[in-house]
Amino acid sequence: MKAIEAKVVILGSEGVGKTSIVTRYLKNVTSSDQGPTISASFFSCKLYLDGVKVKLQVWDTAGQERFRAVAPMYYRNANAAILVFDLSQHKTYRDLKMWAQELQRNVQDPMILTVVGNKLDLHATRTVSREEAFLFASSIGANYMETSALNEQGLNQVFLRIAEGLVRLANENKSQTLRRYDSSNSISAYSNVFADDDQAFHLPSVHLGIPVEEGDVHSSDVGRLETPSWSIDHIAHGSVETTGWCCY
Amino acid sequence: MYSTKSPSLRINSGDLKCRNGCGFYGNTQFDGFCSKCFRERQQGLERQRKQRVVASSSTKIDPHFPRQKTSSHHSARAATQQHTFPPSPSRHKPHSPQRGDQQERGTLKKNAILSVFQKTSTQKNVGKPERPYVPDRTEMEFITGLKKLLISDDAKKKLKSDIQRLDATIRDYLANHRSIDDLSECVQNAYTRLSEVLGRDPRFQTASPEAREECMNFFEKVVMTRNHSYLFSPCFTNDEEQDSKIQKRIRQLGWITVKHLSCGIDEVHSASRELVYTAITELVAMDSFYSPQEKLECIVRCCRHIFTLLKHAVGGPASADEFLPALIFVVLKANPIRLHSNINFVTRFSNASRLMSGEGGYCFTNLCCAITFIENLTAVSLSMPADEFEALMKGEKVYTSAWESALLACEGLHLISENMKKMDALKRKNENVLKGIECFKEDLKQLQAEITQKIDETLIRAPLTILPIKTPEFLRTRAQSLILSDAAVAEQRRNSGHFQSNIVTSLSIDRSDEGKALAKDSTLPIPIIPAVVGTTKPTDRDKPLVDTKPEPVKEALSTPTQSPAGRMSASSSADLLYSSPIFNYSPFDTNSLGDAATPEDFLSGQMPDFTGGITNINYDFDLSDHSGDNSVAEDTNITTGFNLEEFDPLIQKPSSSYLSSTESGPDDPDRIGAVECEKPKSLIESDSPSEILLPSPIKPTSATNYKGFSNFEIPSISCNTGDFSSLNSCEMATECLEGSEGVADKK
Repeated sequence: MKAIEAKVVILGSEGVGKTSIVTRYLKNVTSSDQGPTISASFFSCKLYLDGVKVKLQVWDTAGQERFRAVAPMYYRNANAAILVFDLSQHKTYRDLKMWAQELQRNVQDPMILTVVGNKLDLHATRTVSREEAFLFASSIGANYMETSALNEQGLNQVFLRIAEGLVRLANENKSQTLRRYDSSNSISAYSNVFADDDQAFHLPSVHLGIPVEEGDVHSSDVGRLETPSWSIDHIAHGSVETTGWCCY
Repeated sequence: MYSTKSPSLRINSGDLKCRNGCGFYGNTQFDGFCSKCFRERQQGLERQRKQRVVASSSTKIDPHFPRQKTSSHHSARAATQQHTFPPSPSRHKPHSPQRGDQQERGTLKKNAILSVFQKTSTQKNVGKPERPYVPDRTEMEFITGLKKLLISDDAKKKLKSDIQRLDATIRDYLANHRSIDDLSECVQNAYTRLSEVLGRDPRFQTASPEAREECMNFFEKVVMTRNHSYLFSPCFTNDEEQDSKIQKRIRQLGWITVKHLSCGIDEVHSASRELVYTAITELVAMDSFYSPQEKLECIVRCCRHIFTLLKHAVGGPASADEFLPALIFVVLKANPIRLHSNINFVTRFSNASRLMSGEGGYCFTNLCCAITFIENLTAVSLSMPADEFEALMKGEKVYTSAWESALLACEGLHLISENMKKMDALKRKNENVLKGIECFKEDLKQLQAEITQKIDETLIRAPLTILPIKTPEFLRTRAQSLILSDAAVAEQRRNSGHFQSNIVTSLSIDRSDEGKALAKDSTLPIPIIPAVVGTTKPTDRDKPLVDTKPEPVKEALSTPTQSPAGRMSASSSADLLYSSPIFNYSPFDTNSLGDAATPEDFLSGQMPDFTGGITNINYDFDLSDHSGDNSVAEDTNITTGFNLEEFDPLIQKPSSSYLSSTESGPDDPDRIGAVECEKPKSLIESDSPSEILLPSPIKPTSATNYKGFSNFEIPSISCNTGDFSSLNSCEMATECLEGSEGVADKK
């Protein structure tokens, strides 16, 4: 069986519900005895998709404005990014555009982007229209989903879509950082959370959420500098990130 | 180490001789040779060295040639820096001072650089000298670790050879090149190669994935531990500068509190403080481990503590929004030594996949973020004014926090601060209680005022008009005589008399004395007898219009709650109760009957026997019960002279006599006495008056006339004092004083 191990970062402004998306999804997925995760900010889970085992390592990030400068450390080497904004707050949507630009500028490897409009339950106070968000998502080559972490609506689909995208990415063999394994055994290599299993989650059929037609995967990596997978550039370290968001 | 040293503790003269056996004494500085032999040997070595290539230095460093190393090292040291270092360097301490020296020397000539490497290698060798013979503790650990691996012996051999090869490569590299990045790349390549070998090599085919994982870790750990001293913060990097820079920076930022970072750590709470301490300990401990993965484990443990801490604070799984500020806080408070060196070491020489994924990677990334944030910290990121930030950074402004004080203070002071906090909490509680008391007092006052007001209103609505109950003389005398002879008969008489008196009062409210008297006469014959025994109050012609009304009103105003009630109860005699059926004052009657009268009430009420009218008024007040309880005291208030007498054995007799005399003036003394004696009984039996909502029929106009008589009434109560006197007789002496005082007061 083929296996993929990928790093997924969740980006978005403070208070858009990044953490609740994670916790709610985790609650659904790990309702079985998968052991407690130590926190909502880091977890890994596995999905079976068309005979491919996809292991997602989801990293939550601090969304405060003052931590914006260190964000590149989080999404370095990420294979997928979930960009979350609050449907009821237009400012978070505008911030999201900044996040997306920053991502595109700083990440060379192809990434699976997913734009998620959270807090669908606050339908009454909605300020971002679906069309607007969808257009934006298409423009950056991202999927667009609307979810409600509160009602656990559309969460599974978000991760399912990401897994699908990652499988495609792996097949295209474009990503350097995406780790592929020919046997599912080695996937347990560095996993701390779900190390002891061969039982991963089989995806339930998901009908919730609003899947929006996905655009092309962001794959504008023509002429990309080929670096070895272990390159030091790929490792987050304490150096100051100079290619910050402030210079565009 | 000890094995080599121990002989030096039992020194024979032979031990001090030159190792060459030339008979001269040797010197440790000359490696145990005498000076001559040492020089000769030195020259020989020099020759040898010249013959070799430049790379020979690296072979010397190689631990696989320990014997050569030892000799070469000693010679080198002897040649270049004899006095610089003591001959017994420990593995841990020398790092920082040596590095300083290394850096200085790094600027010297090429020859000196060579010596640097030699020297560092010697430390390693002294730490674990002559591996084949006496394995060092670390070495032993590796050997046992290798044995424990669940792989075939061939695989172990392969692993061991790989380790040795990488070892050699690293040292080789260090000797020739000075780029840490290249070295890092080299090591990472080795890791990648090994992982490939682990995956493909037939020798590892039998091993389980976990065992392979174990091999990988073991490989990394062994190589890094053995080469830690070379690879950790090498002299040709600026790690050390960065270390001191961030250390200084963190020290400058010592004033930062959780509030600045807006993270959810409770600085004061002891439990969370403990967790913060533990996290800090883990973070600081990072420096004491050699291998990158152990350092990484420290970071992970530190982060886990923070997560548990936040779980308590937040009440759920913590998110990155909360975690990063908390981690920053911990880093700031921990100020770990050689932070940058450690981070760089892990970054360069840890297996890259470890840093890119997994919990370790996440925690490490967060730590890096925290450090970066600290380095680039500005006033904006703390959301505080720039000038204040500047002042705090320069130390011009002192910012004391609970955290700082706790860190600076010893345990006792810490305890004190905690206690102070507790005391503050208690103080607040106490204040609350006091406030509550004040409120309660206010409420009480309000209640009092309300009651007073009510009473006043009631009094105004139904002014207290006390009309005397006139007892015909013949009735009195008869009653007295009856009481003396037969109580039952007397009661009957009284009852009848009582009713008559009531009738009289009711009728005579507005009439003049004579009118009343006439009415009495007419009513006397009424045959109705109430079931309940009332006080016998034959209407008295002589004291017909004794009116205490003005007094009670005044007192009600002055002491609203009790005195009026007491008064009323006092005045309320059973007469009223019985009178009602006759006169159809239904409300009065029901109320009055419902409430039980205390004996005191009656006692007091007896005095104004004559004031049958008053009783009606009394019903208006709710407080009859209270008054009943306190009635004695209150009654005394009403008629001061009288009350005092009650308690005074001495005065009683005179007072009683006085009373009798006063009353006898208008009435027969005998009758009065009889009435007084009889009253208690009736009182006990009868019920106390209760409040009346309806205005009393009595009108205030007549009240003024009778003021003067109140004095006379007072003494009449003294009949009760007879009991007191009997009681007091035993304690005559003690109460004499009081009695005298009472007399004085009365007068």
